[in-house]
Amino acid sequence: MDTAIDIALKLVAITVAFTVVLLIVAYTVLAERRVLGLIQGRLGPNRVGYGGVLQPFADLLKFILKEDIVPDKSTRFIYFLAPVIATMAALMTMIVYPFGPEIAIPFTNITIPLTIARFDIGLLYVLGITSIGVYGIMLAGWSSNNKYSLMGGLRSSAQMISYELALGMSLIGVIMMAGTLDLGQVVENQSAWHGTHWYVLFQPLGFIIYLIAAIAETNRVPFDLPEAETELVAGFHTEYSAMKFALFFLAEYINMFTVSMLATTLFFGGWNVPFLDLILARGTFLFGLISALGFIFKICVFLFIYIWLRGTLPRFRFDQLMNFGWKFLLPVALLNIFLTATLIYFFPNL
Amino acid sequence: MLALLFILFAGLAIGCGLAVVAQRNPLYSAISLIGVFISLACLYVMLAAPFIAAVQVIVYAGAIMVLVVFVIMLLNVEQEERGRPRLKFLVPVAVALAAILIAEVAFILVSVQEFRVNPTSAPSDVGLTHSIGAQLFTRYLLPFEITSILLLMAIVGAMTLARRGGLLPPNARVVPGAQVLPLSMVDPNAEPDDLRPVEADTSDEAARTLGITDFRNQSKRD
Repeated sequence: MDTAIDIALKLVAITVAFTVVLLIVAYTVLAERRVLGLIQGRLGPNRVGYGGVLQPFADLLKFILKEDIVPDKSTRFIYFLAPVIATMAALMTMIVYPFGPEIAIPFTNITIPLTIARFDIGLLYVLGITSIGVYGIMLAGWSSNNKYSLMGGLRSSAQMISYELALGMSLIGVIMMAGTLDLGQVVENQSAWHGTHWYVLFQPLGFIIYLIAAIAETNRVPFDLPEAETELVAGFHTEYSAMKFALFFLAEYINMFTVSMLATTLFFGGWNVPFLDLILARGTFLFGLISALGFIFKICVFLFIYIWLRGTLPRFRFDQLMNFGWKFLLPVALLNIFLTATLIYFFPNL
Repeated sequence: MLALLFILFAGLAIGCGLAVVAQRNPLYSAISLIGVFISLACLYVMLAAPFIAAVQVIVYAGAIMVLVVFVIMLLNVEQEERGRPRLKFLVPVAVALAAILIAEVAFILVSVQEFRVNPTSAPSDVGLTHSIGAQLFTRYLLPFEITSILLLMAIVGAMTLARRGGLLPPNARVVPGAQVLPLSMVDPNAEPDDLRPVEADTSDEAARTLGITDFRNQSKRD
């Protein structure tokens, strides 16, 4: 009976987390269009609702009502499977992140953790699921029976293989300092010094490598070669329309959100709001709420950086992309591991 | 509950495993193999070995199979022709091997009966990252180091095979930016259909490799 209640609680938690995240993601799309408009000296969508606040729902309605076109010579089953893999892999990483500290529900004796699942290998789980996500793009490119799609899928897989290494290596510095792969524990470690013991202070190089590799992993500008409009029409999703296209679109923005979440969790203190424990007692409801909001705020800063980059940077050429990943990022990431080991050797108490 | 999950994942693993050999399309086989790896990872989690499970997904499903699928897509391997099987003499060998395998499984089922433990009843830290790391760097240090040297050798070997300088003609020419020009376009004395590339990052490096000293003047010529 206890397991049944446990599972039910987890399901509720997952539903709440997914709803919140999907809402934020929907508004990221709107924010992207408005900020791009700002950067490019135009308005962006501002007609649906006050200042365009209902635009995400209008877009969703449009995607649902559009005709769903399936190419005649496509490989049906895989063509349907690809967007599902992409979206599922993007959503599945959500469950291990600590959204906030344990909070006490007011007027009861119940304390709940703001994490859905906490386990020993949280970080490896995230990396594993992320590496599965690339199949969505690859299979979409292959099954569409379109040369532009195939090129997009191939580019995506080559890019993922190249940048996943640098991404993993850049995180090893943090793992070495934290001494654990459990994301909850990593955030707890950063609570020292009144919540300002952020690992970015000791791992600036690792953070920069992570930021660059994460942009490449999510196929965003300036690494958006799998969907380079000037060369490949729309890349791997050329043949996708209506809701299936919307799923790829959604997966891209959820991935943006999750890599921002990982950056915040590992480098920027997770839910730790600096000096909050001087004002409020840890474990109170208000402390938990402000911490969780702080976490979301930090993620939004990263999302803004993403949009900013998209508005200002041109696209790489493919050989530049490969040279940069293998000949620059990877050696620098290895150097970072060496530097971190030296740091830990001389200052074991950091 | 655990038994149900075990039946689910074990069934998935066996089903996907059968699909790997039964499918005629190499890409379907590859996808089935990914299914096998993921089901096995789930079984590892149930056996309280989360680290092995994560590594299984990251290394096999996430890296090696991406490469396999990449190659299948790149070469555009067509569906295998369903012709007469050629290696017929191997059938008795296969039957014998299968019999041995079944015998092994039966032996294990019979002999290990008494030592069956419920994986959830005794919490153990054997499968956790910390204990695996500690064991690898203390008790099993030598095998660990030997394995890493083996991997290093494999990397060096792959590099040597990939960039065998002797295979390239001394007068091949490449323009940085991955555009290969026919040699006849730049050198009037060359054979008209020599397209083989030489490795170079910049025009100057390419010129040096080719032994062209007045490269700048040559490019101005046309």
